[in-house]
Amino acid sequence: MCTGPVGDPDRGDRVSANLTLIITASFMIGCGVYLILERSLTRVLVGLIMLGNGANLLFMVAGGPAGKPPIIGTAPTEEMADPLPQALVLTAIVIALGTTAFLLAMAHRSWQLNGNDDVQDDLEDAAIRQLAATDDVSDSHELSQEASAEEDAEEEVYEEEGAEQ
Amino acid sequence: MLALVIAHFAIAGLSPALTRLLGRRVFLALATVPLATLVWALAQTATIRDGGSVVRTISWLPSLDFDIALRMDVLQWLMVLIVSGIGVLVMAYCAWYFDNDDPSLARFAGVFVSFAGAMLGLVLSDDLLLLYVFWELTTVFSYLLIGNDPAKRASRLAATQALVVTTLGGLAMLVGILMLGQLSGTHRASELIADPPSGAMATAALVLVLVGALSKSALIPFHFWLPGAMAAPTPVSAYLHAASMVKAGVFLVALLAPGFALAAGWHGIILTLGVLTMLLGGWRALRQYDIKLLLAYGTVSQLGFLLTIFAIGTRAAALAGLAMLLAHALFKATLFLVVGIIDKSTGTRDLRELSGLARRMPVVFATAVVAAASMAGLPPMLGFVGKESVFAALLDVASTTGGDGTGIASYAGWLVVVGIVLGSVLTMAYTLRFLWAAFATKEGVAPAPAKPVPAGFAAAPVVLAALTLGLGFAGSGLTRLFEPHLALYPEGAHHAELALWHGLGLPLALSGIVVLIGVFLFVKRKVFAQFQALTSWTWSTERIYRNGMRSLDRAAVEVTGTTQVGSVAAYLTFILLVVLALPGAVMVANFSGSVDVIAWDHPAQAVVGAIVILAALFTTRSRRRLRAVLLVGVTGYGTAMLFLLHGAPDLALTQVLVETTSLVVFVLVLRRLPDYFTDRPLSNRRWFRMALGAAVGLGVAGFMILATNARSQPPVSDGFPGPALEFGGGHSMISVILLDMRAWDTMGEISVLVAAATGVASLIFLDTRMSGIRRVFEIPYPETVEKIPTAPGRRVWLPGPRTLTPDRRSIIFEVITRLMFHTMIVLSIYLLFAGHNHVGGGFAAGMVTGLALVVRYLAGGRYELDEAAPVDAGMLMGTGLFVATASALAPMAFGGAVLQSAELTFHLGPLGDPHLVTSTFFDVGVYLVVVGLLLDLLRTFGSRLDRQILREEREAETPAAGGARL
Amino acid sequence: MTMTALVPLPVVLALFGAGTTLMLSRRPRAQRFVTISILTAIAAIAAILLVEADRNGPQVLWVGGWASPLGIALVADRLAALMLLVSAVVTLLVLLYSLGQGMTGDSRKAPMSVYHPTFLVLVAGVSNAFLAGDLFNLFVSFEMLLFASYVLLTLGGTEARIRAGTIYVVVNMLSSALFLVSLAAVYAATGSLNLAQLSQRLGEVSDGTSLMLQLLLLTTFAIKAAVFPLSFWLPDSYPTAPAPVTAVFAGLLTKVGVYAILRVQVLLFPDSHLSDLLLWAALLTMVIGILGAIAQSDIKRMLSFTLVSHIGYMIFGIGLASAAGISGAIFYVAHHITIQTALFLVVGLIERRAGSTGLIRIGGLAALSPVLAILFFVPAMNLAGIPPMSGFIGKVGLLQAGIDDGSWLALVLVAGGTITSLLTLYAVAKTWSLAFWRTPEQAHEMMLALPGLEEGQEASDDKHEITRHGQHIHMAGTAFGTRELEEARRVIDSDAPDRDLYQRLADNSLPKRLPLSMVLPTTALIAFSLVLTVVAGPLFGFTDRAADDLLERTPYVHAVLGEDG
Repeated sequence: MCTGPVGDPDRGDRVSANLTLIITASFMIGCGVYLILERSLTRVLVGLIMLGNGANLLFMVAGGPAGKPPIIGTAPTEEMADPLPQALVLTAIVIALGTTAFLLAMAHRSWQLNGNDDVQDDLEDAAIRQLAATDDVSDSHELSQEASAEEDAEEEVYEEEGAEQ
Repeated sequence: MLALVIAHFAIAGLSPALTRLLGRRVFLALATVPLATLVWALAQTATIRDGGSVVRTISWLPSLDFDIALRMDVLQWLMVLIVSGIGVLVMAYCAWYFDNDDPSLARFAGVFVSFAGAMLGLVLSDDLLLLYVFWELTTVFSYLLIGNDPAKRASRLAATQALVVTTLGGLAMLVGILMLGQLSGTHRASELIADPPSGAMATAALVLVLVGALSKSALIPFHFWLPGAMAAPTPVSAYLHAASMVKAGVFLVALLAPGFALAAGWHGIILTLGVLTMLLGGWRALRQYDIKLLLAYGTVSQLGFLLTIFAIGTRAAALAGLAMLLAHALFKATLFLVVGIIDKSTGTRDLRELSGLARRMPVVFATAVVAAASMAGLPPMLGFVGKESVFAALLDVASTTGGDGTGIASYAGWLVVVGIVLGSVLTMAYTLRFLWAAFATKEGVAPAPAKPVPAGFAAAPVVLAALTLGLGFAGSGLTRLFEPHLALYPEGAHHAELALWHGLGLPLALSGIVVLIGVFLFVKRKVFAQFQALTSWTWSTERIYRNGMRSLDRAAVEVTGTTQVGSVAAYLTFILLVVLALPGAVMVANFSGSVDVIAWDHPAQAVVGAIVILAALFTTRSRRRLRAVLLVGVTGYGTAMLFLLHGAPDLALTQVLVETTSLVVFVLVLRRLPDYFTDRPLSNRRWFRMALGAAVGLGVAGFMILATNARSQPPVSDGFPGPALEFGGGHSMISVILLDMRAWDTMGEISVLVAAATGVASLIFLDTRMSGIRRVFEIPYPETVEKIPTAPGRRVWLPGPRTLTPDRRSIIFEVITRLMFHTMIVLSIYLLFAGHNHVGGGFAAGMVTGLALVVRYLAGGRYELDEAAPVDAGMLMGTGLFVATASALAPMAFGGAVLQSAELTFHLGPLGDPHLVTSTFFDVGVYLVVVGLLLDLLRTFGSRLDRQILREEREAETPAAGGARL
Repeated sequence: MTMTALVPLPVVLALFGAGTTLMLSRRPRAQRFVTISILTAIAAIAAILLVEADRNGPQVLWVGGWASPLGIALVADRLAALMLLVSAVVTLLVLLYSLGQGMTGDSRKAPMSVYHPTFLVLVAGVSNAFLAGDLFNLFVSFEMLLFASYVLLTLGGTEARIRAGTIYVVVNMLSSALFLVSLAAVYAATGSLNLAQLSQRLGEVSDGTSLMLQLLLLTTFAIKAAVFPLSFWLPDSYPTAPAPVTAVFAGLLTKVGVYAILRVQVLLFPDSHLSDLLLWAALLTMVIGILGAIAQSDIKRMLSFTLVSHIGYMIFGIGLASAAGISGAIFYVAHHITIQTALFLVVGLIERRAGSTGLIRIGGLAALSPVLAILFFVPAMNLAGIPPMSGFIGKVGLLQAGIDDGSWLALVLVAGGTITSLLTLYAVAKTWSLAFWRTPEQAHEMMLALPGLEEGQEASDDKHEITRHGQHIHMAGTAFGTRELEEARRVIDSDAPDRDLYQRLADNSLPKRLPLSMVLPTTALIAFSLVLTVVAGPLFGFTDRAADDLLERTPYVHAVLGEDG
């Protein structure tokens, strides 16, 4: 791994990835994924928070090398860190707060209703799956009745015709 | 023309009102529209006979090359006469058929006349897409007509069956039409016939179109829907079979024949299926009991017959076809109407119960005989004229080489002749069976009691029968009229002419044979029936349709069962797998070894990173809720640290504040939830989840490395510093971006907070957000406390004694809190206004204020909170959003852009000249929203849950107390 | 002041209204007034923008008056303006409907102080998503409409809604996280987030990387748009919400996803390698979706599946990537927003009139309320693509585009689309037959006869048309789970509050007639869908022009960055 100096001319404006940040972020995201696949809504929430933090770190990577705080006058501008990703992340963090609050409310409500905060499966789907489980068709049964009725009628025709005159 | 079509739908709209007015006589009113159409069509006779055509074109959808193009030539003219003429008669007939008190009258009348309108539009369309429009409309209206008595299961089924089958064909046809249009650049029938496209694509298109025609005209293998459609009221059946719906297919074939008769597949498909259908229909007709069903199978047979003739494509055949088309319309309508009369007056259609009607209703009987004779092809009826010329035309095809210009091989020609002759024999037989069944006096059967038939009721069939008879002698006149249409076809072997007497010849002989064998079959019907019983086959396309539908429903259940797992985890897994499979795979494929990375900008990053990673790992393993929450908090603070090291103090500050708030909220809620996560046995799903987590982690890392290495341009933010100072008027770029450059994002973000808080409130106080705000002085002291305030309502510095039970109090904490509170508020105000040039800003300020409230709450409980902030949280956030948006709109008043900011400098003399950026107002809005949010969270997760807990405790105590008392 | 000043108003006004209604939380009448007037204003503005965009090209506003490309650009080109207008009309009517309903979508009365502000935030989010000229701003607008939708979906916090809400919320939060990652990657690769600028800069990114970015964004949006195999969450979450909420979700939210896919595909990745992928996804979405619809025994769920299925049509058009295809897709979006919303509103009426939307419990609605029958039949047929209504026109446009394309895959899609349309008709016809034609008595007797049935036995005089096979019972081609049915049976025996229509009619515990305040907005919306048919000619001309702009790209880019940009 080469530690290229910041803004080295031959690298043009290419940003070289900060491996530490990337690895940290990836770990948080990986663990987050592991957690959101859990059944407990609290765990899911914890997972989502981690996903969020990880994603936010990635913006730092995207912004390029670290630098001085982007406050004009405190340092020459070329030494400052890219302010845009910071602003974006700030927005993202705030939204994450909303996420936490709302999911917690849901967890609480679901605890009130079910005595636990586990994610429930969908019932209608369960019903359909139950149908699928039994290897039988969802046939328009009326039709087959129609058929049998018609055939009976035909049978009759023959007899009657035979019996006639 | 268009006006006439529209008139049908218009009067349909009026039908409910008219029905209320006229009762069943409404049909007479509705009949005026088809009558007008009939008159109009007759008025055009001259033009048509002279080979002219009536055309009307309105551009509608140029981008789809789809115009409202109407055109009336001979063929269309004839169809219009049939559709409107029979329409008039059937409607008049309805006026007697129905009862005044029939509840479905209004609906039926409306749908019926709309149906007539759709049919009229169909036969007048020149643009095939327009034709398809009316085609489908007839399908839908017939669906409603067949299901007219929906309480009967049979009619519901028949309706659905007809709908599905004909729509299936229709859609195939639509695709065919579109393909034809794509090949030849037009959807106009007239232009397509002029130069028909050729090639494999064209053949495919043609076949698709034919599927439509065949399904509509109930040819094999679609024939089964038609008898089912008998569920409809008899007048509908009469109209459906004689004049409309099923005639649509015939019409389409007749329309395209001039252009496509020579196209590949045309003869093969239509002739084969046509002849087979004719035979099958006749065969089955002979086995029916219900005389209406008998006629229905008769129609199936006749449709096969008609399509066969029109498909031939010689002048003679075309002429014969037109004659038969007219003849069939007349006699089939008559017969159905007769059945209707019988059904109405005797209450049955079963031939085992009908007897001796010939004597009881002679007029009806006479009418039936005339029509039947025409159906069987006996002179001097129009049916005979038609059939004669059919035989002539077919014989020409079979005998002349090259099939009289049709390219039909001689043997095929003869096969068709034989088929048609056999078909006619069966027709003869079932005609007799019909007459016998309906009118004959059968011994052993009691004469059916029959109500007298009012004249008006019988009028329609009589008129039709009269025409059948009269037109039989008008052969030459009809031939003149049809000339222009015939000109579309090449001159045939003989000059074709409709006439009662063609002289002795093979055609006449064939007619003779047909009559003889037909009569024989009828006389020997007992033997023949037994023969049929022997050869009766169980195979039927209806069963195929049924099985098709069954397996469709089955497939639906199966597929849905497999895809709709119904569990969140599964759906998330799908999503993540897609992420790995699509972008992930591409990333791996493009991942080169020579990516350019650095270990860190600053070693400290590595240390913090390690801590964060550990915390993250432990979080996944922790089984206690609180532990998990604290650990995730660690990752959060760690992230803040990394932000700081990266040079993002604002970010770090915000992150810390947010983390802290989340922790508090978490703890407040966790009070209620069980300490431990519900235990689940270690399953291999777990290993799968780990693998998935790892894969996604790696994937994301790959995305970032690949992406960062792709950068070749300076970030857009390089241009920020200058403008930030001059235009944004702030030193802190972050806050300039948030409050000015990208204030639009911030506005969205605070609205998200508002929504989230509202959601929390709606989930915690389910019914209303209003949590009563109780001031301390409203609360009486508990008995334990003696001290009484000097004046009631005076504020107390430490409300603890009133609001908290002694064991929950910590005087020190309360005091410290009271002292800290104002300092924190001051700090937050500072942050609010300093933000523009230093670290801070409205959001941070709001969070600090919020945390101050949090501390107040933790120390003094919910009353303390209401003391500190006696306002409704929703109100506060509302005001915040209001201020923010108002200050966003304000600049527009001065001709600026939304959210445009300006610098104001005040001159306060000795106090100096503080200058203020208008975006600060926006920031105040943000501040208010954030404070509101935290207040809301405290009211819900804090106070409200306190109350709930308290209530539960009380509930827990009361029964115990009761027990003690006993 | 030029018309561009109007561009941000749909969003700002909505949020302004949200704030105001929160402040007025104790004054319902005032809230109504504010919300209605603001939504009306938005519709008017959208109309003006539509005309402007059509006459003078894309209307661009740099928020805060910042020089490009520093700030955030809001762009109202033909596509955005059209979406804006349709959504504005729809939201206005839905709001009127929900006022008429008193938001008693269920037994519990939902708080107005929650409904109004949240609904307005939703509107703001949707409008912003259409106008956003900046990828991150698109993310923010998604969050706005998502959070609002979370709240509306869990309104009243009943068990069913919490269950459904959890699926919806968690799935969407994951997709938001994915969106963030994609944004980080895009910024890392280009150093910009402005769409116009990205359309230039992504050209310089290596093919592999840009394909990766494209797929990341596509996956994110496909979740929102409910494209197979990312669509399964939708039918589990939408149907439980109150009718008007479901209606506006079904109408708008998925379409925002479709819009995002279209915008990004065409503007950022013009020489896309993904056409085939999109076409396959479209095919599976259509077919599997409609099969789901056939399997359902509840009208709401049935419609949710048709919703998913018809998303496939739009993806089909986008996948063709030809002017005709995109134009058809845009037209279909406009049509589908209207019709799907209308249908869900009608279902709300059914629920009100018959007390249930379960096909087990209801029947005979055609006789019971002819108005309701018409209100259901017309849009249902429109959905099934029966001519000459807008659904048919959109379908023809797409099929024609597919045939013009001529590749075998496109032709397969044509076949698939045709079959889907047939199956849609079959699904709605089945619903019609059971809910509107079959009499309540028949429905009732069926249910009584049901759980008693032995294997293979049938209760089959003309009244009950049912048999039992294994775990489920068939009637009229619909399969009902025995568990489900036994539940219903218990309902019948006990005096449980929700009984089947027959009983409710017996003890007339149902409103005799439907409130006009609900019927009128529904009728208006259906009328609007028919207007789309009447003006189909000019409208299709418009979508053609919109499609050309999109494929050309320069009008958009120049309008945002200036001619030299």
